[in-house]
Amino acid sequence: MLNMNRRQFLSASVLFAAPTMLGLAGCGNSGSSSADSGSAYGEGYVFKHGFDLDYPPYSYIDDNGNNGGFDVEMAQAVCAYYKWEYQAVPFNWDAKDAELNAGSCDCIWSGFTMNGREDDYLWSKPYSDNTQMIMVKKDSGIATLADLAGKKVGVQTATSAYDLLQDEEGQAELAGTFDKLEVYETYTIAFNDLKAGAIDAIAIDVTSGNFLMSGETDYQFLEEMLGSEQYAIGFRKDDTELCDLVNAALDALVEDGTYDSIGQKYPEIYDYLCLGK
Amino acid sequence: MTFSTMFSTMAIGMLRSFGVFALTLLGSMPLGMIVALLKKSRFALVRVVVSAYISLIRGTPLMLQLLVWYFGPFYLFGMNIGSWRFPALILGFVLNYAAYFAEIYRGGIESIPVGQYEAAEVLGYNRTQTFMRIILPQVIKRIMPSVTNEVITLVKDTSLAFTLAYQEVFSLAKQISASQTSFMPFLIAGVFYFVANYLVEFVMGRIEKALDYYK
Repeated sequence: MLNMNRRQFLSASVLFAAPTMLGLAGCGNSGSSSADSGSAYGEGYVFKHGFDLDYPPYSYIDDNGNNGGFDVEMAQAVCAYYKWEYQAVPFNWDAKDAELNAGSCDCIWSGFTMNGREDDYLWSKPYSDNTQMIMVKKDSGIATLADLAGKKVGVQTATSAYDLLQDEEGQAELAGTFDKLEVYETYTIAFNDLKAGAIDAIAIDVTSGNFLMSGETDYQFLEEMLGSEQYAIGFRKDDTELCDLVNAALDALVEDGTYDSIGQKYPEIYDYLCLGK
Repeated sequence: MTFSTMFSTMAIGMLRSFGVFALTLLGSMPLGMIVALLKKSRFALVRVVVSAYISLIRGTPLMLQLLVWYFGPFYLFGMNIGSWRFPALILGFVLNYAAYFAEIYRGGIESIPVGQYEAAEVLGYNRTQTFMRIILPQVIKRIMPSVTNEVITLVKDTSLAFTLAYQEVFSLAKQISASQTSFMPFLIAGVFYFVANYLVEFVMGRIEKALDYYK
């Protein structure tokens, strides 16, 4: 819900100066993107990969201080496949839709959930499964979702887990049994609160949760999952050609083993990669 | 990630923050003076326009203004905004800070007793001479503490540059913190900001002292 509000807030902010611009937006778009057919995406095309550097292990700052992550490496592999020039656009997640619509990036490819947004973007084929889980301390005595009644649960704002807990058709009813749903700006802070005992559990994507728990031994997921979804690459709705090209490249990269070998570098998510399975 | 990699990555971010800081001051301090003088213009229309600008800028979040400056040309005119990112960022910051500086300057100018203008007129100074030689030097002395406040706020406000995907030190701190599951990057960012603001305080203190020539 907040996600939606934010997006509306952002569109409103851009609407700020003139209330009639949604129509104009369409016009601008067709001019800037795939106007010509065929030749537009030839060798040397600058592929602008829009992503959030705050989302390990899909897109993040690696140990050497460079952009890294499964999505970044895959996007680079797609560029190498077509001999495109890769350009990183590590945007602010809050402004992702404006960046995409304005053509500052070609796609949103950053552990981006397609479920619930099916009609908002043109989607590639899903490349990773994801489930939302509850993370607790092993000695907390919490074993099922029902045990969360009267507990404090933390979640990061604008994430799938957050949306799920707000969604009436999702887990809003469960969230109603909590003592409190604490909303954090980042999971790092939520995890510290869990360690410190300020909250009892964290609702989180399994992949992000695995990443947080790597190197920790005192934490576990509940067996019951909160929900499940899939990650895909979101394109502007009229960018069919680019979307088709990327889909074709993904197939080729699965075929030649690149997808698998990149995936093996990210053990937290390897089991969830779903292309070619 | 080793501490030295973390530190050097963030130091580059701090330099990028400083770039926004320096360009903003360079643009907004003179522009603020122009705005302050226009607000005292003889022409009612000019005063109304300037007042509206100040109200609008001070009454809306800087983050929102940055989004409008960057994405506005696309949504309004369908323009290609490929290379507009950094200019829009600086434009947004400069116009925002100029509004605040203008009000600080105006407060300083209006604090000078009207008798001084009368005395200057008697002594044969024209309007420009009166302002440049008598009023302005006193105004600068009086507003220094408020200006220092504003400059320090600007150091910290540079973190809003990430709204337009400009990777300054605080966005890097958040990102590295997420990938390393550690608070260390925030501590490093805190140290960077503190050192930068300590320098600002020191420099502004020296300027205040240099201006304190009557005591």
